[in-house]
Amino acid sequence: MRVLEPWLAEPLTGLLRESSARLALVMTASGQVVAQHGFTRSLDVMAVAALGAGILATTAELARVVGSPTDFGAVVHHGESQGIWLAPFDTPRGRWIGLVVFGRESSVGLVRMFFDRFAADVRVAAPSDTQPRELLAEGFERELDDSLRALFGGAPR
Amino acid sequence: MTLPASSSPTPPRGHAFLELGERLRRRGQLDAAATVTAAGLAHYPDLGPAHDLLGRIRADQHDDAAAAAAWAVALECDQGNVGARKGLAFLAFRGGDLAAAERHLEAAVLAAPHDPEVSSALDRVRAATAPPIAGPVLLDDPAGGIMLFDREGMRLIGGVGPDASDEMADAVAAECAAVVRESVRATRLLHLGPWRQVIVEGPDSRSALFPVADDATLLLVRGASTPVGRVVAAGHRATVAARAWLERMT
Amino acid sequence: MTLTAWQQLLDTATSVPGVRGAVLVSIDDGLVIAESAMDILPTAEVAALAAAIVQRTLRVSAAASQRPPRSVRVSGDAGTLMAFVADGPLWLVAVADPAAELGRLRLLLGDVAAALR
Repeated sequence: MRVLEPWLAEPLTGLLRESSARLALVMTASGQVVAQHGFTRSLDVMAVAALGAGILATTAELARVVGSPTDFGAVVHHGESQGIWLAPFDTPRGRWIGLVVFGRESSVGLVRMFFDRFAADVRVAAPSDTQPRELLAEGFERELDDSLRALFGGAPR
Repeated sequence: MTLPASSSPTPPRGHAFLELGERLRRRGQLDAAATVTAAGLAHYPDLGPAHDLLGRIRADQHDDAAAAAAWAVALECDQGNVGARKGLAFLAFRGGDLAAAERHLEAAVLAAPHDPEVSSALDRVRAATAPPIAGPVLLDDPAGGIMLFDREGMRLIGGVGPDASDEMADAVAAECAAVVRESVRATRLLHLGPWRQVIVEGPDSRSALFPVADDATLLLVRGASTPVGRVVAAGHRATVAARAWLERMT
Repeated sequence: MTLTAWQQLLDTATSVPGVRGAVLVSIDDGLVIAESAMDILPTAEVAALAAAIVQRTLRVSAAASQRPPRSVRVSGDAGTLMAFVADGPLWLVAVADPAAELGRLRLLLGDVAAALR
């Protein structure tokens, strides 16, 4: 498990332990990865973060088109051997996104239960004094590189 | 005909001296049996069955103190040595210490739940010591199983039935540990208090799990026709015996 | 069976003294299918946690080469979680107080679970 900020470690450890998650990714709504577990290649993180944010954006638009008064919330894909839980949650730093990949040793119900607890823990643990940073286009790649270096302990591969 | 005891202290290869020593003992050649066994122990000082054999030889020689010492060493080598438990129970019974005899036999039943000799010996001791309601506790169903396993799902002692292999028992222990983990979590998060038991009823069996210690759980398996209350009652009594066994082992 | 009929059966189970709630759970994913419970009972958590226990007991049966269990009961000092197979992956799960008459409850919930099929 790697986290950009130490206060995230405890809530994420709880989520991983209780949900038996195989992979996990926490990112801001703008796609900046703030924590990851289980990924070994930074390229995978970049791809998963982009795809996850894209799926949520798509379902939010779908909700709007079909007249849903709110977003659909979580998106779940359940395959034969593993599933994906993808959901936004609000924090003092703005809206974040969590992605959890789980296997048959867990279940949607367990992941949902412990993801909700994780989101609540993050809301409590997050320092509220820091405003979310504005990610400008010209700084985005550098921000991404810095994040990935911190999350993988080296240069992005 | 008398079996020749080896003139040399070198025992037969491997653990074959155990068989020879036992045959000599059964034929009443106790000194020769003791010589062979002692020679074997010189090579395998940590071999529990050899100390057990020496205990039986000493008991046959009416040297109870030496027999008790040998069986105590056998238990140091292996707490689950049924022969040593039976031997110590026999000595305790003969010496009038019925409580100690019962304790040793309960431990023996845990180690060998399907040994009819042990369970009937336990019944006899209980009949002599306990109020009339005390009946066979641990082996009320010869087709059942009883097993202790640790937090990691490693089997400590016992099995899941007379027809089940050790491999099956190990697999069941591993899976039962996961049931315990989930039960502990569920009772904690749903505020049901510390878990006390898990009862599983199926078309083939009735099983129950009981916490014995922080790091040990007891599994009791009985036939599908066994009343649930009886499974629970037997489990509670087996848990007491299992705690005593664990304390002696640690 | 309709959702309304399920609901009526769950209401029957919850009306037993000492029962905090009854939930029809899909043990494959640990989600609530139907429920009848007091407000204080977190039914989504009951479903997720009960499904995890049932899944594990299914693995125990498989390891012992036995047929799947029909019911699972987890007792704590402050209450009991009871689960009965209803229909395939659907299980009836109930949470009861320590003072509940578990013997009677076991029979009644078994009947309700059978009726849910």
